[in-house]
Amino acid sequence: MQNEILFSANNIVKRYAAHTALDDVSIEVPKQSIFGLLGPNGAGKTSLIRIINQITAPDSGEVIINGEKLKREHISIIGYLPEERGLYKKMKVGEQAMYLARLKGMSKNDAKTSLDYWFNKFEIAEWWNKKVEELSKGMAQKIQFITTVMHKPQLLILDEPFSGFDPINTNLVKNEIKNLRDEGATVILSTHNMGSVEEICDDIALINKSKKILGGKVAEIKEQFAQGQYNIEFKGNVVSFANAVWGGWELIERTQIGKDHFAATIKLLGNNTLNNYLKALLDHVEIVNVNKVIPSMNEIFIESVQQKTDQKEELQVENTNLTNNTDNNE
Amino acid sequence: MSKIGLIIGREYSSRVKKKSFIVMTILVPILSAVFLIGAVYLGMPEDKDHKILVVDETESASLGIFQKQYIDLTVKKTASGNIVDDPDAHLNTKYQFQYYDEIENGKSAKQAKEDFMTNEKYKDCDLILYIPANIYASNTARLFYKEKPNSLVQTYISLALNESLELSKLNEKSISDSLTSNENALTFQDYQDIKTKVNIAVIDYLDETEKDDKSEIKAGIGFAFGLMIYMFIFMYGVQVMKGVIEEKTSRIVEVIISSVKPFELMMGKIIGIMFVGLTQLVMWVILIGVFSTLVIPFVLPDKYSAAFQGSNPTEMIQTTSDVQAMMPTEQVANIQDNPLLDVLLNETPWIAMILVFLFFFIGGYLLYGSLMAAIGAAVDSETDTQQFMLPVTMPLIFAYIISIMGIQDPDSAIMVWCSQIPFTSPIVMLVRFSANGGEGMTLQLLLSMFLLIITFIGTTWFASKIYRTGILMYGKKVTYKELFKWLKY
Repeated sequence: MQNEILFSANNIVKRYAAHTALDDVSIEVPKQSIFGLLGPNGAGKTSLIRIINQITAPDSGEVIINGEKLKREHISIIGYLPEERGLYKKMKVGEQAMYLARLKGMSKNDAKTSLDYWFNKFEIAEWWNKKVEELSKGMAQKIQFITTVMHKPQLLILDEPFSGFDPINTNLVKNEIKNLRDEGATVILSTHNMGSVEEICDDIALINKSKKILGGKVAEIKEQFAQGQYNIEFKGNVVSFANAVWGGWELIERTQIGKDHFAATIKLLGNNTLNNYLKALLDHVEIVNVNKVIPSMNEIFIESVQQKTDQKEELQVENTNLTNNTDNNE
Repeated sequence: MSKIGLIIGREYSSRVKKKSFIVMTILVPILSAVFLIGAVYLGMPEDKDHKILVVDETESASLGIFQKQYIDLTVKKTASGNIVDDPDAHLNTKYQFQYYDEIENGKSAKQAKEDFMTNEKYKDCDLILYIPANIYASNTARLFYKEKPNSLVQTYISLALNESLELSKLNEKSISDSLTSNENALTFQDYQDIKTKVNIAVIDYLDETEKDDKSEIKAGIGFAFGLMIYMFIFMYGVQVMKGVIEEKTSRIVEVIISSVKPFELMMGKIIGIMFVGLTQLVMWVILIGVFSTLVIPFVLPDKYSAAFQGSNPTEMIQTTSDVQAMMPTEQVANIQDNPLLDVLLNETPWIAMILVFLFFFIGGYLLYGSLMAAIGAAVDSETDTQQFMLPVTMPLIFAYIISIMGIQDPDSAIMVWCSQIPFTSPIVMLVRFSANGGEGMTLQLLLSMFLLIITFIGTTWFASKIYRTGILMYGKKVTYKELFKWLKY
């Protein structure tokens, strides 16, 4: 179901007076998927999102949606929840939602029908006549989410959609995003919340310092970053654990859980397999639990971003003071 | 375009429903009505004593018409043959006439003026009423003053002179038509012939140039309109700015410009608020009109009415009084007495005035409104607006000050220039247009309008460039240098 491409941005370059916000960035978003757009602050995510929303234009490169070049008319099939978002404080909730729906090109009737559906779904129908300033931040966030999806956009762009929500509402919104995908929408999700990326994203692109440094299916990327590490929990003597297998592995970390009860993270070296390793271990200690270490998106994120940064800095300080260099690495 | 309509609609309805709008709409007319009534009331002349030296050239050898007709009732001859005013005979004893009897001795009006200053005999007099020999043809007399007389005494004198002339004409007619005793035989044609409206030029006896106090009033009315534009630009221009800042700080702007172009959002806001202003204006005009008509008749006292009425019990005066009796007497008299009301009701080209007003009102607002929108977009909060507000409000305040000074001399060079420069013309042009009664200004007016249109197109372009970049710029202190960079984006 994910092979068709709904949206792609090709070789996007965007320059501002002093710096380049996007340097030859390309992304492809498969239809009916959730695409995570990741990157540290100031990496250029918002610039890319604004280009997709036609708030700004790229200096070069093109944006293709549904096989067509992006144009003004596509506004009605895109739903955008900006990171910097808000509502008119003095306006009533319902009135405001209607206004935003009309701006998206919906007719009065369609807007009312859709809004009634969503307000009921989120159980907030009684807020219709409240002023926005009477709402809490979380409540306002719900309204904003509704106004983003009310016109059934084919492409949904959510910039930090979970900020400001409590865990319960975060879940509600998360499920809603998945539902929307299952109903046919394509979602671009920009967030720093790596947990949610892991949970709901199918694909990701990682942007750092105006460049895309990583991209692909979440599962594949994780596999790529897995380094043959395992967690082993055992009962028995630590020394016999260490002596059981001679070479071919490396202890990364060890913690004591109880009396003669330990957990260790090891990395297999060379052609050693887990089977061989366990075989050697079986006679010496009682194995309680074994599992493969799969890097979290968080770790992948940090590793990728720092690696890039390090490389750059290494290049820059190549011929200068070595102490400085190590300091930087730390 | 339907989207810009939606934006205009929201801006309009959300503002018109505000309590502050409703309060302003009701409160301002009440205050204005009070102010207007106050101005009319203060414009009402103070009842001061005057002694008027009458130089009557109409008949050099004997009594002139004024004396001849008026004398019978109000003067008496002394034993020595001199004619003096008889205070007892006056209905209004505040004004006394003294007759310059040197005319009979061959002295001219010029000498009368000298005497007026130097001769002990006339030192009590503060006005000279000079009635030329050709008064029947010219219908014009002159009133020289030391200190400018108020409209009340002017009215009194002109009524007195009018009456003298009319009586004189009536007598002539009666004699020539042998209608000595049968007044009823006067035809309407006779009445038309006799009816006189004499003009009195009020002149500073030192200066000799005629002061038309109405020109100042006209300029003042223009200024009132200009002031309205000034206030409107300030009030609603600031609203545009605040609206933009509100959208920016509440962070809704990015949601909206993912649906509409920034230019549409900006223009929608400016135009929406303009309609709010126009609505308020129309409401004000209606309410001020209602309040004023309700209150004015109660406020203006009776004492100015009928100042001269019935002082001469002739048939003709009687007839006039009958006509007057059918109308609300006070008002008729008040309008004649009060130059402000007179100009307001009779001498202002209202339709042209209102059209010009609306044009400069809208033009000036669009010009400044777009600049205010740009300021709102460039800053993060209202406290940061100062540095940009100053250069925008300076010309506006300058125009206001120039206009106040220009009331006295509406066609001075600086007024002419400022009525062309688009940043000041919306206020200054109103003063000039009104002062000139709209006459002889067509070319200047068109040029000024043209310049205003060109300029507000320019400022709107400029503003939209700044706006487009500024609304998405947070947490950055913006400098002028930066603004210029934005123009190039």
